Amino acid sequence: MPSRDRPLGQLFTMLKRSLVLMLILVACGGTATPGPDDVGSRPDLPPTTAEEFEAHLGGIDRPAVVTVWASWCLPCRSEAPLLNQAYEQYGSQIEFIGVDVQDSQTNAKAFLAEFGLEFDHFFDRDREVVNFYAGIGTPVTFFFAPNGELFKTHNGILDERTLALNIDELLRLGS
Amino acid sequence: MEFTLLWAALTAIGFSWVGTRLWSDRLPDHPTDRIIGAAVGGLIVGRLVAMASQGINPLTHPLDILIVRGGVHTGAASVGAIVTYLWADKWRIADLDATAPAAVLGLAGWHAGCLWRGACLGTASGLPWTWAEPGSAVTRHPVEIYAAAGLIVAAWLVSRLPWRLLTRAGAALAVVGLVRLLTEPMRPSLTGGPVGWYVAAVAFGGLGMWLGPRLAGHRVTAPT
Repeated sequence: MPSRDRPLGQLFTMLKRSLVLMLILVACGGTATPGPDDVGSRPDLPPTTAEEFEAHLGGIDRPAVVTVWASWCLPCRSEAPLLNQAYEQYGSQIEFIGVDVQDSQTNAKAFLAEFGLEFDHFFDRDREVVNFYAGIGTPVTFFFAPNGELFKTHNGILDERTLALNIDELLRLGS
Repeated sequence: MEFTLLWAALTAIGFSWVGTRLWSDRLPDHPTDRIIGAAVGGLIVGRLVAMASQGINPLTHPLDILIVRGGVHTGAASVGAIVTYLWADKWRIADLDATAPAAVLGLAGWHAGCLWRGACLGTASGLPWTWAEPGSAVTRHPVEIYAAAGLIVAAWLVSRLPWRLLTRAGAALAVVGLVRLLTEPMRPSLTGGPVGWYVAAVAFGGLGMWLGPRLAGHRVTAPT
């Protein structure tokens, strides 16, 4: 009996070791933490009010994706790579704008240095913009038609399907 | 985990439970426990790998592991689920065959859970059975419903296969990969989806179907 099980047993032992090794490698995966120079060299995020932001959007002649984030917001870290990918792919057709809420300038700049969201961001300490467009919680993503009219609000963390589908909707609105 | 995603997970577990009742022949003890254990194991491994690929260290940001909606690496999750199942089953690989149809049915339930999440729609289409997102005039393929229907048929087909080592489990892996592969072009995506992993699932599933019975035959005839 033991000799019959040996080849499979060895295979499973190897699989077990591979899984443990994979978990160790994952646990050791480093996060690029920005140094003080990276943060210090960045300009402060421009403060905005709901009226100013609405006027800003009205002046944009293409659709816009507005992401509401904060440095203390855990899901915002998870959706940052997705937003970066969308910006790289659709940045020439769609305006991407970030709104940092209930945050400090130092923490906000550290977040941007770490996650590299290279589009324009505004500072909204009192959540005026989010409240104006009736968003709930953080993160929130607003999708705007080319004339600055709100097309859709997504409360909560963004997934790839939701972002890709709404970008497709915006591009159809814009064309 | 978001409430809507929790509903999808519960739907999957419910479908798996139905599967174990439908195909109860030669089931191991407590198959539902093992399926749930495998799902949790798969989610943890898939989430850890997704975090690593996004440059987030699980040791410095441990709470991020719980934010399943933030992304799960599909391929790693599948491997994690299978390994967890085998570990929970003391590496009795033959028992994978017993729960394979139920697991495929559970995945069908997961896809059907899009009805609760409002996340069924894919690429635009003018076909008569398509529908539009709320507030939109653009009708779209209900791609997750296609996947759920395909997996229900697949679960039935897998349950009809002969009982031989890895035949059902291999077939289940292959058909799940095939259904995802066929529906992927209709799924809204920025990256094109993990198509390579689906191809690998089809290949490994086929390999399992071919190799399993031969390994079993070798084991039976080998001198002791």
